[in-house]
Amino acid sequence: MKHLEKGVSLRHAPRDFIRDLNADNASTGLVAGILGLSVGVVHISAGTSAGLDSSFIMIWVISYLMINGFFGLLMPAYYRLPLPMANSIPGALMFAAVIPVVGLEAALGASLIAGAITLVAGLTGVMGIVMRLIPMPIVMGMVGGMLLSFGLKMVSPLEDAIVPASIMILAFFISARLFRKIPPLIVSMVAGLIYLMVTGVDLSGIEATIRFPEFIMPEFSVAAFLTYGLPLAIILVGMETPAGVGLVKGMGYKDAPANAITAVGGLGTMISAFFNLHSTCIAAPMTGVCASPEAGSHDKRWVAAVIAGTIFIIGAPFYGYVVSLLEATPSYFIAIIAGLALMRVITSAMSIAFAGKKHEMGALFAFLIAASGVSMLEIGATFWALVVGVIVSLIFETKDFEFVFNRGALKKTG
Amino acid sequence: MQLYKDASIPAITAGFVAVLVSYSGPLAIFFQAAQSAEISSAMMTSWVWAISIGAAVSGIFLSLWLKVPVVTAWSAPGTALLVTLFPGLSLNEAVGAYLTAAAVIFVIGITGSFDRIIRLIPPGIASAMMAGILFQFGVGVFVSLENVPMLAIGMIIAYLAFKRLTPRYSLVLLLVVGVALAVFLEGASLEGVSVQLAEPQLIRPEWTWDATLSLAIPLVLVSLTGQFLPGMAIMRSSGYNTAAKPIVTVASLTSLVTAFFGGITTVIAAITAAICTSKEAHEDPDRRYVAGVANGVFYLVGGTFAGTIVALFTALPGEFVAVLAGLALIGAITSNVSAFAAEKNHLEASVITFISTASGISFLGLGSAFWGVIFGALAYNILHRRFSFE
Repeated sequence: MKHLEKGVSLRHAPRDFIRDLNADNASTGLVAGILGLSVGVVHISAGTSAGLDSSFIMIWVISYLMINGFFGLLMPAYYRLPLPMANSIPGALMFAAVIPVVGLEAALGASLIAGAITLVAGLTGVMGIVMRLIPMPIVMGMVGGMLLSFGLKMVSPLEDAIVPASIMILAFFISARLFRKIPPLIVSMVAGLIYLMVTGVDLSGIEATIRFPEFIMPEFSVAAFLTYGLPLAIILVGMETPAGVGLVKGMGYKDAPANAITAVGGLGTMISAFFNLHSTCIAAPMTGVCASPEAGSHDKRWVAAVIAGTIFIIGAPFYGYVVSLLEATPSYFIAIIAGLALMRVITSAMSIAFAGKKHEMGALFAFLIAASGVSMLEIGATFWALVVGVIVSLIFETKDFEFVFNRGALKKTG
Repeated sequence: MQLYKDASIPAITAGFVAVLVSYSGPLAIFFQAAQSAEISSAMMTSWVWAISIGAAVSGIFLSLWLKVPVVTAWSAPGTALLVTLFPGLSLNEAVGAYLTAAAVIFVIGITGSFDRIIRLIPPGIASAMMAGILFQFGVGVFVSLENVPMLAIGMIIAYLAFKRLTPRYSLVLLLVVGVALAVFLEGASLEGVSVQLAEPQLIRPEWTWDATLSLAIPLVLVSLTGQFLPGMAIMRSSGYNTAAKPIVTVASLTSLVTAFFGGITTVIAAITAAICTSKEAHEDPDRRYVAGVANGVFYLVGGTFAGTIVALFTALPGEFVAVLAGLALIGAITSNVSAFAAEKNHLEASVITFISTASGISFLGLGSAFWGVIFGALAYNILHRRFSFE
């Protein structure tokens, strides 16, 4: 436990919250909260495309907002740092894809183990060692391939909807270029909804149901762990957490509690596993918003993260309205939104995997195998992508592995 | 002789694999078109003779003249067009349309307007389009694991081992091992393959408005966007700054002749070109033109024995060719993917091109490579271009 960093305290948090609240961090918190809410659309479209039950999709999204929002409230309040929490988007897609294969309980069991691994990694501070063996370009190659195969399936309805697709995609790009505070996804959605109303699509069947997370008992299976749990743990420890921590540190918070963020993410993921949710971790895109200079005075930006967490919790029960709204729209609508949301994630995955000129071949094999979606010995492509990617990289790109350099350096000095 | 000095086994193998891949892949679409046209097998042989000789003559000539690996082939998206048009269209009308299309492409080539269009495409987007086209072939290697696991695993291991031990000869060794595995594991049978010379048959062209609108104009469009555009992009991303003008001109002149024997438009190859222009063909870029020449020579052989070659290549299991093509293209995929990922200032536009191209969508009869470039260029202009009013 000695690796866990101590924070300020929760006791005076409400009082300090009111003291530190200002227009800058309030508005930034709102932006981050809306950004996080809009991500729920990815869950809905991933779930729909994987053929999951709509009532399950609803509690999945609601769990995402409530559980992640709860941790997103506590972490910044305790550490007084802008540390918003959410879930892993690549994790969400793997989760949706694995449920039809192994069943919900087994998938959640794999989440539970992934959470436990993450917790241990955080408590012992050993994440660095594991990550050296599985280089990030290979992991991101796998993530990119997985997102691509799923993403392409999601965007296939576009062929029949060139007009609304053009409107929504243009709205997305133009707003990405012009407005900085409004998530372009929201602008695109509004543009699409206006198009639907103008063309007279019937949206009258929408109802606002209020739902809460439901308890479910996870089960354990080796196939689910290898296909989904292990890649999830690697993504949580190796990608999501370093991305978020890196952002916070980059904004000048040098003593960001890296181990505690990892450990809390692990604990949060373990709790998530009992409530239909795949993970909890620091939210890199939201961190980028909450920790930015736009959130005002440096030591008061934590308030923005607390506000974002609060928006999650308040918004969660009403997300049924959004689910119902999206279900009433034609299938291309959700396909476009999902495609746009995923584009950003795929872009960053491709950039990490291939722009660094290291582990290129390993990353390419991981990318192609994950994209092929092939499963062998009842274990999914994500696992094979990592295994084959690492083997290929070990054969052809030995010099890119950090441990090789370290060992060589030790020998020379010793 | 210069050619003799530059010749190498890897380059010749690359040329052979390129021919093998196009005979066993895109040729199948041509067969389908022939089936819907309800033609005799002698006529089919003449068609194959015409497209092979067209590719051979133009490829050998251009590779030797320009000293770069120019791989030509027939317009694969064009043959896909044919499938839908026959039998409503008569053979004579089709030939008339081939001639019109070749003439239009010739004019576009000789005026140099195609070069201007090519130069407008940002480098990242060109690479992303190529990566998007080749992506399917790379994925195909691993998709084959479901149907022919032993063959695919064997070939992947052979590829990795040869690539590590003798990178220069990895392709030829892979080919040998692959054929052996296909025969032993999948029971590929080479019986029924007999040697016979192809006899070209002359078809009288007939020009009609209907064929011009339904075949000639779409053929020009899909050939330029689906073949010349990615083909030139692959040359550029492999470091050959050859102008499109001589290539387009020579290819269209060749088409004018082969059309009379049922040969659809000769174009620059895209996918198979990547095999001959990449490192797999030779370490030294200046000696890869031999791959282009070899490719032409094998087409010459293929055309002369059209019936035999066709029987031979169709005897090998489809998965074998899929795995071979994918593995032969791994190098090209890697270089194109990292080329566009490295262009960080317009990465999002490149990713859009990549995704659209890889998705295989088609609108208005035009393929995903074309739309990939259009979407990418649009996103490039909206997202990344600096508008200056100074």
